[in-house]
Amino acid sequence: MTKRGVLVALVLLLGALATPSVAWGHVTLLSATPAVQSSLDVAPTEILLRFSEPVAISPMAIRVLAADGTVLSGEARSAAGDRVVIAPVSGLTRGSAYTVRWRVSGQDGHSPAGVFTFGIGVSAPPPTEAVGAAGTSWKDDLARWLLFATLALVIGPLALRLVVLRGPVPSELEQRFHLVPTVAALALLNVGIVAFVLRASNALQLPLPDLLYGDLQPFAEKTRFGIAFLALTLGFGVVATLLLFAWVADLLVLRAPALVLSLVLASGISLSGHQATLPNSNKASELADWLHLVSAAVWVGGLASLAFIVWPSAPALRARAFLGFARLAVGLVGVMVLAGVYLALVRLPSLSDLWSSDYGRLLLVKLAIVALALSWGALHHFVVRPRLEAGLEPRVRPSLIGETFVALAVLLAAAVLTNASPPPVQNGSTVARSAR
Amino acid sequence: MIPRPELAHWLAAAFALLLGLVLVSEAIVGTPVFRRRPWRAYLFPSLALGSGVFLWVITIFSTFSTMHLVAHALWAESAMIAGGVQLAAVRGKLSSPRWSLVTAGALVVCGAAFLVHEPNPWLFSRSAFLHHVIGWMLIAGALFPLGQALRPRWPLWRAGFALTFILLALLLFADRDVAPIFGRFGGAS
Repeated sequence: MTKRGVLVALVLLLGALATPSVAWGHVTLLSATPAVQSSLDVAPTEILLRFSEPVAISPMAIRVLAADGTVLSGEARSAAGDRVVIAPVSGLTRGSAYTVRWRVSGQDGHSPAGVFTFGIGVSAPPPTEAVGAAGTSWKDDLARWLLFATLALVIGPLALRLVVLRGPVPSELEQRFHLVPTVAALALLNVGIVAFVLRASNALQLPLPDLLYGDLQPFAEKTRFGIAFLALTLGFGVVATLLLFAWVADLLVLRAPALVLSLVLASGISLSGHQATLPNSNKASELADWLHLVSAAVWVGGLASLAFIVWPSAPALRARAFLGFARLAVGLVGVMVLAGVYLALVRLPSLSDLWSSDYGRLLLVKLAIVALALSWGALHHFVVRPRLEAGLEPRVRPSLIGETFVALAVLLAAAVLTNASPPPVQNGSTVARSAR
Repeated sequence: MIPRPELAHWLAAAFALLLGLVLVSEAIVGTPVFRRRPWRAYLFPSLALGSGVFLWVITIFSTFSTMHLVAHALWAESAMIAGGVQLAAVRGKLSSPRWSLVTAGALVVCGAAFLVHEPNPWLFSRSAFLHHVIGWMLIAGALFPLGQALRPRWPLWRAGFALTFILLALLLFADRDVAPIFGRFGGAS
């Protein structure tokens, strides 16, 4: 670089560093009294919200709602240079939980809104169970299914490459083994964000333009799916980076930690569902849930990899990949079935629950699709495998694609089940109404 | 869980400035001279990819509104993908100059996120003004990698791309939500 170039760069750097002033952010809720999802001993007489910026308010900026929807708060007022909003409350009783819904306008023109809960003498429910919150819908089911599917497309190809097809492979095949899980990891990040926002929007109950400025913090910090979302976002950001580096720098060894991390992070997806919040949930059921999910993800992702990665790009490796995956699939299906049976026994203590509850009927639908997928797999295992071992080249790809789609249907049924409520347990505990 | 916003803005500005200075250096001395030491070729793509990873951390701190969460995720993803592709180009894994189109696309996405992120008109406040300026500047800045994809040997593209980042840094350093648009830089409003 010439002296003049150095001088110009230096002037730009110093000029830029000398000019900044305070860069205020957008309006955010700094704290609330009572605190978000807190449990109090004595009923409060007012609700106080402290914001990061001065805010403009309407008389109904804060609404405190009883379980039956009765509004218990009075007219809101500003204090402390318009950074604090206070609303009086009356009629609150011990032994009840209450919902606070708020909405203000910042000087930047944005109108943030939020919801949280608190209890008096009882635990506060999560914000997803706030008064006025809607339960999960088909959109949540679709988002969870896409989460499962993208997880399968991260884990499946990595497992197939690292466990079944170890050693050098043709470069075209290697490129596909790089591309598919990397794109899937990025897709999973996006789907995770959509799933999280959808779940929060069920409780916030805001129209889309207002939802853009909805406060998601109580959901991120106080709910299992929120905490799982944060862990998944950070974790799969790392997974995507590892996979990108593995491709760019030909550091294939990085795919092993990417696979291990993905398997660990899958626990976040299983723990963010309904099952983990049930009264009869325990460490064993959480472990079974995780095993059920990861074995299904490797199975579905492995099938898709066989059909869409190995078959089109490496004819010479088809038999080796198929036979290796067939051996792996036996173990995967075993784990999946055992864990699934255990979970069914935990969640449906009575056999009649299978046909007398919505959850049981959904489980029957899932079992029917699983039976179809297992039959298809058995056909491959007992008919196709011997032919490949004999050196023949049967036309398998259409059948593999078919089995992949049936397996994806199993994941869809699993997604609907994860968002659904099992029937009440008999130990006197209450049953959660929606996933936390 | 939220870091002070001015810190986040300044950090982003400092990072954009670093990226810009690396690119300006290459534009001034020319690519052959700049890359006499091979590691220099990896500087910009590695920093871009690294900024993408770091932005995921910022993303999980941006749950105070849906719009901020989505915008930060888009910036993180764009930086990661553009950085990764540029790194692959430097490594020789991608040889076509058309891969610059990925960088162009990333700039358009980042610019659009800035514009959607700001619901107020241009003259509402300095912050609104800067959001609009940054958004359109990034979209216009996409013309430089676009040009590089079509006519790779023209030096104008590299210089313009470098200046885009310097300008981005300056605008981010000047960002204040409630300040008058062309008010003095020092002191709170």
